Amino acid sequence: MRLLVVEDDRDLNRQLVTALEQAGYAVDKAFDGEEGFFLGETEPYDAVVLDLGLPGRDGISVLSEWRKIGRKMPVLILTARDRWSDKVRGFDSGADDYVAKPFHMEEILARLRALVRRSAGLASSELACGPVRLDTKAGRVLVEGNPIKLTSHEFRLLSYLMHHTGRVISRTELVEHLYDQDFDRDSNTIEVFVGRLRKKLGVDVIQTIRGLGYLVVEPGSNPSGS
Amino acid sequence: MIRWPKLWAPHRGSIAFRLFVSSTFWSLVILLGAGIALSALYRHTAEADFDNRLDVYMHALIADVATADDPATVMPTHLGEPLFEISLSGWYWQITRLDGADKAIRTSRSLFTSHLPRLADEGLPSGEGGARQGYVIGPDARVLRQVERVIDVGAEGNYLVQVAATTGDMEANIDKFQLALAATFLALALALIGTSALQVHYGLEPLRRLQEGVGDIRRGGREHIEGTFPADIAPLAAELNLLIDANRAIVERARTQVGNLAHALKTPLSIIANESDADPAQFSAKVREQAHLMRDQVSFYLDRARMAARAGAFGRSTDVLPVLESLLRTFGKIYPERSVHLANPSGLAPKFAGEQQDLEEMFGNLIDNACKWAAGTVVITLSESRDAAARNLIRVDIDDDGPGLPEALRTAALARGRRLDETKPGSGLGLSIVVELAELYHGTLSLATSPQKGLRASLSLPGIE
Repeated sequence: MRLLVVEDDRDLNRQLVTALEQAGYAVDKAFDGEEGFFLGETEPYDAVVLDLGLPGRDGISVLSEWRKIGRKMPVLILTARDRWSDKVRGFDSGADDYVAKPFHMEEILARLRALVRRSAGLASSELACGPVRLDTKAGRVLVEGNPIKLTSHEFRLLSYLMHHTGRVISRTELVEHLYDQDFDRDSNTIEVFVGRLRKKLGVDVIQTIRGLGYLVVEPGSNPSGS
Repeated sequence: MIRWPKLWAPHRGSIAFRLFVSSTFWSLVILLGAGIALSALYRHTAEADFDNRLDVYMHALIADVATADDPATVMPTHLGEPLFEISLSGWYWQITRLDGADKAIRTSRSLFTSHLPRLADEGLPSGEGGARQGYVIGPDARVLRQVERVIDVGAEGNYLVQVAATTGDMEANIDKFQLALAATFLALALALIGTSALQVHYGLEPLRRLQEGVGDIRRGGREHIEGTFPADIAPLAAELNLLIDANRAIVERARTQVGNLAHALKTPLSIIANESDADPAQFSAKVREQAHLMRDQVSFYLDRARMAARAGAFGRSTDVLPVLESLLRTFGKIYPERSVHLANPSGLAPKFAGEQQDLEEMFGNLIDNACKWAAGTVVITLSESRDAAARNLIRVDIDDDGPGLPEALRTAALARGRRLDETKPGSGLGLSIVVELAELYHGTLSLATSPQKGLRASLSLPGIE
């Protein structure tokens, strides 16, 4: 899961990025509206945290411009203006959720989890595929009820795949959603990660579709039939 | 035109009253003066006319005397007026010799044995050709108009020729004229008073429109004074509009500043809170606690500051339906698992007499509260009513199907400033701000049990018809 944080206050931006990375997301950051708009326009984010009071170009105009050019990623608005009129304006320009400053980091995390899940069309915070269960809230993975220790990259990979079960996901898509923009992107490393993940899970939920990418299905089911 | 009664009973001390009284007073003074002058003129003309008639007899008498062989004894014969022959008829003549020893007096028969007094004796000055005119009391105690003249017939002596006649007919004519004059002027005065009342009404009508325009703004029907005004008060209307705009700009600026202050304070508070959350030390716990306290206080006082900025604003109207509709869209996103409906059985399209932001704040808090507690459904019902003063009221019922609120706790939930006492953020119902906003607009908020056995929040706000 790759996120974008657009917040002009350096300290708050750093806190958000740190907390989100700790929660297992790949995070890009922007400090003003122009930069934020450009990143959101060109990179495929799974969710955006957008401050409304930005220098240069304000959040509302960035958001409505994204929506106008067809960018549909979930956007969580962050603002000190907590009146309902501000909220209504935010939602009407295309926001999916709203957190008023000052906030608790847990609240941001919970709302983002819900947004990502909702945009993938999932109802529960716990994703399941056969014996594998991924708790997005706790950031835990269980196989047959036993906790599995994963690195943050591995967790992120599994989480993205499990948010999109039943769909073939290309390596390029994985690279785009798992790494922030500063990461050295080499699609070969994906194969390495998938290999490690398979070994750790011990069950065959990740199938390789030759020439297309990966598919997460319950073990034993026919990939072409799902 | 509904204001007619006001026209006929203008308030003492009002401009209408002053204009009306002064124009009536001066109309009456001028009419009275004109009446007196006209009456005097008429009397003068009537007297001159009468004198002319007497003069004719006078000339006839003089001609008789002057052409007679013996001016001292001749009796005039050429007057041809029978009234001079009838005793005390009121028409008399008299010729008196002024020189010589006998001072013989000849009179018309009508004088019988009496004589006419002399005007010269009463000190009346003589006019052209030694003639005098004036009033005397006749032998029968009636007022007579008399003309007299002294003629000099040379060797035959000097004679005073007098002709007098009763003024009864003339006075009757003058009286008739004065009566007609008085009647005409009375009608004229009434017409003038009526006209001045109409003029005051018509002339002050733009002022009344101006007053209604300002009233409309205060009641929230309009944003500006509209319509064209006469050149004298058009600048006043324009200045008032500018004043209203300036007031609005001040309120807008205050609100922006408050918003900026909120932004400026809340971001650092977020940072402090997050930083202390991440650190387990004792000191951090204290910082965290105080940061939360500051956050609550900032929110509390910012709400009040916003409200204070609003108290001076007037002249706004807001369509209720679009506000509710965009709030429903918003709540659809915030609570995707709840269903929020708007019921508008009478198909109303009410206008709220106030700011859109405030309406959104009140509805937003109430619907948010309902969504938080609802099991699944929130129903918003729109209706209209009238209060005791027959003002139009918009009523919005927000019903949820949640656990409801025991009656004993409802009053506490509505208590002012309640949020400040709450130790846990979000644990209050957030209703105090709604109550305060509603009161600011002379509206009310009440709590009851909803048809679904949950809580019903009923908000009544002033509407514009």
